[in-house]
Amino acid sequence: MIDIVVQALVNGLVSGTLLAVPAIGFTAMFAVLRFPNFAVSGIATLGAFAGYLAYGAGLQMAGSLVVAFVVAGAAGLLFDEVAHLPMVKQGALPAAIASIASGLVLENLVRLGFGNDPRGYDRPIARDIRLGDIRVSPQQLETMGLALALMLAVFAILAFTRIGKAMRASADNPDLASLKGIRPERIAMIASFAGMGLVGVGGMLLGLDSAIDPLTGTRILLSIFAAAVLGGLGSVPGAVLGAFLIGMAEELSVLAVGSQYRAAVGFVAILAMLTLRPRGLLGERAY
Amino acid sequence: MSPRANGPRSDLLDIVGLRGGYAAADEIVKGADLRVAPGEIVALIGPNGAGKSTLLKLVAGLLRPSGGSVRFKDREIAGLGAPTISRAGLSFVPQERNVFGTMSVAENLEMGGYLDGAHARQRMADLYERFPMLADKRRAAARTLSGGQRQILAMAIALMNAPDLLLLDEPTAGLSPRAAEELFGTILALNGTGVAILMVEQNALEALTVAGRAYVLVQGRPEHEGRAADLADDPTVRDLFLGGKAAPMLARSDGESSKREKGNNT
Repeated sequence: MIDIVVQALVNGLVSGTLLAVPAIGFTAMFAVLRFPNFAVSGIATLGAFAGYLAYGAGLQMAGSLVVAFVVAGAAGLLFDEVAHLPMVKQGALPAAIASIASGLVLENLVRLGFGNDPRGYDRPIARDIRLGDIRVSPQQLETMGLALALMLAVFAILAFTRIGKAMRASADNPDLASLKGIRPERIAMIASFAGMGLVGVGGMLLGLDSAIDPLTGTRILLSIFAAAVLGGLGSVPGAVLGAFLIGMAEELSVLAVGSQYRAAVGFVAILAMLTLRPRGLLGERAY
Repeated sequence: MSPRANGPRSDLLDIVGLRGGYAAADEIVKGADLRVAPGEIVALIGPNGAGKSTLLKLVAGLLRPSGGSVRFKDREIAGLGAPTISRAGLSFVPQERNVFGTMSVAENLEMGGYLDGAHARQRMADLYERFPMLADKRRAAARTLSGGQRQILAMAIALMNAPDLLLLDEPTAGLSPRAAEELFGTILALNGTGVAILMVEQNALEALTVAGRAYVLVQGRPEHEGRAADLADDPTVRDLFLGGKAAPMLARSDGESSKREKGNNT
């Protein structure tokens, strides 16, 4: 029994690491743009398919992730500029609703191009690494390593670069940032592009393990949102923490109540968090 | 009508007929004329809701004027937007939320020098020297500073792009009398280095002792203008804007907070 629980926790750690990538993107966009962008569902799917095509065309894993990042980022920027940011002036809610519509549009565009059939990345088969009774596949380790490297890069950019600091400043206090010469519209564009780029990479990373179809992003939307809310909307370290907790809780829930209730974990987490600690575990610490 | 009778001639800031507010339909500043000469300290006082802070925000570009002109260093800046105006050498220190709370003191200063990265290092060193407290706290998150320390940081951020004019919105609001007094000292010292200052102050009497000239803003328009010392003695001004029976207030120079005084008068 202990073995099964530990195996579930290890699986949760892996899926939490992968989930952290789009959750960082989602929470960073919220911090700067001030609305929850639910188009992450469609963008994650788009990123997964873009990466799939690139990988199929012979690119290495890292190269395919770059393609997923750029395609998803460009699409995210386009939808923000055309559909979401004009609505933000009316409030966060209209923009959030518009973003749900964008997600549906993207999902169906992918369906139009690729149909409903699931597709798998053709990755070389490798023997699982075993530690006692715990198993991890080398592929899981590879995607986990890529996700961790990406997260470190995001943290380094936010902590040490001029543009990263300007983004944090703009998220912290937009008026003061603009008084200091940081152009809010430029920061917003960077947030849209990089945030959705991370979401696209996340879609691909999470799709690598199983198969992808037009609903890939929709299935992880709730987990992404729950991770961000759990850590505190707008907090990048919070999103990482939230992603690990959601990842592990989802795996453990499969043991406790069966896989058909897995999706409920996110809902319960959001409900509990909003009731008990609405600002999230880490509040709004920007990084 | 033009309040140009006295004071220095060549203006750093020249505001004529400025109008505007938070929404087009709701004008708070209704035709303000005001000017600041290089190196001057000018106080803007008046009752609550007179539009003092709104006026500063209109000048700094945080709000878009609906009419009038703002000339800064002989260049029209009305409606240019905050980043451009601050690039021109005008730094605004808001009353609230005037630091980046989640960022360290050092990062706050860096953001202050965002536009002029080439000089940032030198200016930071200078500011650390002038305000050793900031050097001691350079790694601390700005939200952990005390009220007085935060005001110093807010001003230091504004000084990072070497402005010719500082706009201060109620710099002493919420400070203890001692901290307020210290801050006024700092403002005077800054002014001594050649920076002109336009400040809104609730603490009207204190402001009038620090400033060279002052305007009294009523319902969106400057109604009185003159040398600060004269205004402090003017019975109409005292009656209307310094809280009525002003004699006991004037006599008291211990820096009692204006809120307290107002409370006593009502």
